[in-house]
Amino acid sequence: MEETQSDSDLIRSTLFYSDQRLCSADILSPAQARARIEVAVLNFLKTLSSPNPAVSDLHLINRRSENCGLRRGLLSDVSSVFLSHSFCRRSLMRANDAKAFVRVWKVMEMCFMILGEDKLVTQRELFYRLLSDSPQYFNSQEQVNSTVQDVVSLLRCTRHSLGLMASSRGTIIGRLILHDPGEESLDCTILGSAGHAISGDFNLLKNLAFQSDARYIIVVEKDAVFQRLSEDRLFNQLPSILITAKGYPDLATRFLLHRLSETFPSITIFALVDWNPAGLAILCTYKFGSISMGLESYRYACNVKWLGLREGDLHLIPESAFLEFKPRDHQISKSLLSSTFLPDSYKMELQTMVEAGRRAEIEALYCHGFDFLGKYIAGKIVQADYI
Amino acid sequence: MEVGMARRKFAMQPEPQSRLLLTSVRGFVRSLVEDISNGRSPSIALERYRTYCSDPLGNCACSSDTPFAKDFISIDKHPQAAHRLAGLLRVLSIVQQLLQQNKHASKRDIFYMDPALFVDQAVVDHIISDICILLNCSRHHLNVVPVGKGLVMGWLRFKESGRTVSCIKNPNTDYPIPVCLEDVEDIVSVAQYILVVEKETVFQRLANDKFCDRNRCIVVTGRGYPDVPTRRFLRYLVEQLCLPVYCLVDSDPYGFDILTTYRFGSTQMAYDAKLMRVPEMRWLGVLPSDFEEFNLPDRCLLNLTPEG
Repeated sequence: MEETQSDSDLIRSTLFYSDQRLCSADILSPAQARARIEVAVLNFLKTLSSPNPAVSDLHLINRRSENCGLRRGLLSDVSSVFLSHSFCRRSLMRANDAKAFVRVWKVMEMCFMILGEDKLVTQRELFYRLLSDSPQYFNSQEQVNSTVQDVVSLLRCTRHSLGLMASSRGTIIGRLILHDPGEESLDCTILGSAGHAISGDFNLLKNLAFQSDARYIIVVEKDAVFQRLSEDRLFNQLPSILITAKGYPDLATRFLLHRLSETFPSITIFALVDWNPAGLAILCTYKFGSISMGLESYRYACNVKWLGLREGDLHLIPESAFLEFKPRDHQISKSLLSSTFLPDSYKMELQTMVEAGRRAEIEALYCHGFDFLGKYIAGKIVQADYI
Repeated sequence: MEVGMARRKFAMQPEPQSRLLLTSVRGFVRSLVEDISNGRSPSIALERYRTYCSDPLGNCACSSDTPFAKDFISIDKHPQAAHRLAGLLRVLSIVQQLLQQNKHASKRDIFYMDPALFVDQAVVDHIISDICILLNCSRHHLNVVPVGKGLVMGWLRFKESGRTVSCIKNPNTDYPIPVCLEDVEDIVSVAQYILVVEKETVFQRLANDKFCDRNRCIVVTGRGYPDVPTRRFLRYLVEQLCLPVYCLVDSDPYGFDILTTYRFGSTQMAYDAKLMRVPEMRWLGVLPSDFEEFNLPDRCLLNLTPEG
């Protein structure tokens, strides 16, 4: 997209520069979402039955890094990644694009039906429904997920508005009382070490009320580490809340974290991830959002600080616990280093990782004893050793 | 007893507690050290168990409760036995720590404590099974517990570590199945049957459709191949409540394999099978004969893959 002189003047003169260029997905009710699907169909039919009939292309917001920008918060210290108004096309006329084109319509049809039944389905169930309905077009979960993102980009509405529930992978435990209106309140300090499962229903999460005396929230990358810290009752020794999405964070966990950070602005959020590019990528997703779901992900960005593992902690890890970089690690680190949002301090840590070509997991700290991890975390927080 | 080889075999212990286990561990290591310091090559005998019978005629006296073979690990006979023994001792030292501090760890946690030695998770899994056979106990006695995978919902109430878990209050919400069955007590239910489903998607569909509002039952899922806590919990439910159990799996070899794991136990943990199997389980579906009965359209039928 070439910018003319007047365009760049306009951009420089606007106060809310990034907000002008930001593309967002709306949160719609089922009736509104169905209406948008109907509009898409009607427009398609209109072009098809016009005096110059044609099969119209689908214009989707481009979900690549060239179309993304970094938006720095004006009144807060939260930065997020957003997608701008650059489009890519899905066309029936292009040979290797035709199936992708049809897939978008199939998913819209299925969502229309689901919304009409007033149900919520998971993406996994959507995959099974599509597989039994049109097996010649769908053959993997990843394909269904990326087609769903195509529909989100086309209709400019959130995935949840289409009747798709987020996967409920996250769990939470600690100094927090959850009030679900109409249900009993849940005290998260007296749960078993598995914690409380975070619901995938955004309407439910939206209406939760909180009570807490925690000073910190610790976001943990892996479930096993979460359970280790829960069993040790870390949240009683250090007034805190522990949360995990068991890997790459899902939107529901991020939404809950975001709500907690807004309800309790004085709480500091820390992340405990492995010393590898994937761990850093997970931290960045919580912190800035993701490009693949860029239209809605920016809403849930939080100011998460990198507690560990970092370069300064490597002396605590025995030689035998270091593993070699795999090709996937190189891939992820390359994409992170070339991104616009990575702060310099993070870049330096990542470069150290890449140069040594080694990675280590948090569990490597267990060699000092199972309770060492709690002491390590408390020590780092007290010494303000985070970035 | 063969000349030049000492065999280690421990007496049967009915209910191993942590202290008893710690004593056994110390005794085992002491005898190994004695062997080495007397210039004898250490070796260990492990019994092998099976949950299936390979006699095609079916008339045999084998049972999964008795070992069918013995496995010997001895350093002078097999050079790689030294590595296997090293791994065994490393895991044993970790288990000792867990029992002494009354902490729990998963198999994965144990792997991470020395990834260079173990190399692969499967090695740790085998070593833990070997230790269970050696000490004649179950995995959870070693304080090795998995990260729980199973879910339960419906007409049920029980206590976990003194805290009441009342699934009946929200009959369409899933609750995690407790990882330590020892913490569970006071199971109360007015359900008419137990339904076990293979997949999480099916479980969530039943929850979303409010199945337990119209049907008085308990629904359990292992989310694929069931882990040990799920199987033990199911066995416990059946023993305490004496309800019929029905199983709903996919009509494919994986589904059938999962059904047999619930019903007969897994070959990996054959020595523990009698504590975890549910032979009363009935195969509800999906049966191949259902395709015709329910007029399933042809496009719903997928071809078997090479793996299947």
